[in-house]
Amino acid sequence: MIISKQLKKPQLVLIVDDQEINRDVLGMILEDYYEIIYASNGREALAMIEQYKDRLSIVLLDLIMPEMDGFEVIARVRGDEFLNSIPIIVLTAERNAELRALQMGALDFITKPFDMHEVILARVSRIIELSEGRQLISAAEHDQLTMLYSRNFFFEYANRIHHYHPDWHMDAVVLNIEQFHSVNALNGREFGDKVLRTIGDEVRAFLSETEGIASRIEADRFAVYCTPQADYEALLERFQAAVNALSRNASIRLRMGVNPWREDVEPVLLFDRARAACNLVRGDFKSHLMIYDEEMQEREILNQRLLNDLRRAVEEKQLVVYYQPKYNVQCDPPRLSSAEALIRWNHPELGMISPASFIPLLEGNGQIGVVDNYVWNEAARQIAEWQEKFGVTIPVSVNLSRVDVFDPQLEQRLVDLLKEHGLDYRSLKLEVTESAYTDNAGQMIELINHLRARGFEIEMDDFGSGYSSLNMLSCMPIDVLKMDMAFVRNIEHSEKDFRLVEVVLDIARYLKVPVVAEGVETQRQLDMLKDAGCELIQGYFFSRPLPPEEFERLIQAELETERKSEA
Amino acid sequence: MTIRELYDIIDGNYDQAVRVMKSEKLIDKYVRKLKNSHLDDMMEEAYGTMDAARLFESAHAMKGVCSNLGLDALARAADEITEEFRPGNPRRLSDEEALIKLRATVERYRAAVAGIEQYEAGC
Repeated sequence: MIISKQLKKPQLVLIVDDQEINRDVLGMILEDYYEIIYASNGREALAMIEQYKDRLSIVLLDLIMPEMDGFEVIARVRGDEFLNSIPIIVLTAERNAELRALQMGALDFITKPFDMHEVILARVSRIIELSEGRQLISAAEHDQLTMLYSRNFFFEYANRIHHYHPDWHMDAVVLNIEQFHSVNALNGREFGDKVLRTIGDEVRAFLSETEGIASRIEADRFAVYCTPQADYEALLERFQAAVNALSRNASIRLRMGVNPWREDVEPVLLFDRARAACNLVRGDFKSHLMIYDEEMQEREILNQRLLNDLRRAVEEKQLVVYYQPKYNVQCDPPRLSSAEALIRWNHPELGMISPASFIPLLEGNGQIGVVDNYVWNEAARQIAEWQEKFGVTIPVSVNLSRVDVFDPQLEQRLVDLLKEHGLDYRSLKLEVTESAYTDNAGQMIELINHLRARGFEIEMDDFGSGYSSLNMLSCMPIDVLKMDMAFVRNIEHSEKDFRLVEVVLDIARYLKVPVVAEGVETQRQLDMLKDAGCELIQGYFFSRPLPPEEFERLIQAELETERKSEA
Repeated sequence: MTIRELYDIIDGNYDQAVRVMKSEKLIDKYVRKLKNSHLDDMMEEAYGTMDAARLFESAHAMKGVCSNLGLDALARAADEITEEFRPGNPRRLSDEEALIKLRATVERYRAAVAGIEQYEAGC
């Protein structure tokens, strides 16, 4: 391992004394350890400090010199923001001068005569070490591009404000650049850096007018911890205006999330929520500002609780699979054809939770795979149970989520599951949403080809609810098209909607696949769809999703109908 | 003449010179530089006009150099003049008294330089 001592940079020492003998004697003491340069008066010293400012480790400065004395040099160096980090040790024999020089910013003194070499070496070495340490800390404290605090220092200072100044009420503001990677790609990284610097400058200008601290906490994400502002819309516009002034050709949009001060909320959490608020307006063309509120907080707490409780829900079978029937309406009377498995969460404390409350959440964090797996197992077990009980196979459709596509074991797991329950491939139909197709088209097509080659049937779910393309339909290998309920909802009252349904049915005919119309609730809707050639119907008209024991009554009724028709 | 003998002649402190420069070779090197320092001329020029600031500077320079070379007596003499003319210090001597001290210091310095020249000639 390389240790930091090995990475010590070469150390350059400037000795300033008007007397050559003094310079030489001091140089002789230090030359085995340092690179030495010399100046014989204050003016010459200042020129050399300027010239070597990036390399200079320390200045050893005589105080009484012609042309410009050492005090003047100290004052000039300390007054220059680019030079003032260079440490100075004064060379003197006078107590008063020592004191004055130290008060002006010299860090130590060496007395003449230079007869205590070890002391001189120790002092020079210690001051260089302290100064390099301070410079490292200073460099780490600030982001070099924007000169705002770096992330760690920012949160350290924010925590100090929170803990030691509880009466200072500070809001958390997160500022982000919309599609910053595209700004970089389109205009070059140099321009991207200019945008970041501009925001940094404007944030610092803002903080010169109000109390607060700020950081560039990540690539294009800024955090500002400031006293509450009356108008955050105006603040966002101020930052936006600074960015707009950079270029008339580049379109750069900022978005802002604000989490107002709350007692006892640590800055890290305050900023997490401001960031969540900021993310909510990602890609929103109308609104670029979001203030975190109580409703968001409640939702966040609930989401976190659901995520935490999921494993236990699976273990304790709190997740319940319901079944909604699909009927073939081209028969008379309509015949029970298959079912769709739909998940419900019967939470011991929160009661029955709608899938709309937890499915998008689980999809978002990748845990949906756990639920999918659970449903597949339950559905397969249920199909087998019904087979044994009623002697018929009721195929059940289950969801295949986006995240499942990336599971290399998926195909084998499904095959093993069917084997375990003695089912054939057509018993378990796989529903894939239109958006899953569009998100990972290549991977999805490959997977579906494999599954279909095995004998699985693939249903495209929610067709028409997303950004469908006819081209996509021609590329995707599917066996059933499920028309989204949005198409069906208004067909009784809107001729245009009904025409669209007819178009979808035409497309399905062209593809030679049957259509399932979802969300059918009335006789009239059913009649219209049936007349238009739709084969399968799912919806409240026939039945809401049912728990297995209730669904069994539908099977029994179906068997009864069959017996009657045979008789 | 050895360097130690030189120090005896010019009323220097050889042991102090060794403490600063660690080796006889370096003492030899730096003591030879004294004659080119012209600190005596600086002081003489300053007392020609009795310019207090320049007197302070020249005495201060002489004090620093001589203390590093172990020329203690000269360093002490220069120190007295430094304090006499340090800005802000009350003057203790009249100009005439100060002049006597200044001339004596310059004389002593020149005697040291002459000794060094003798030493160089003998090497």
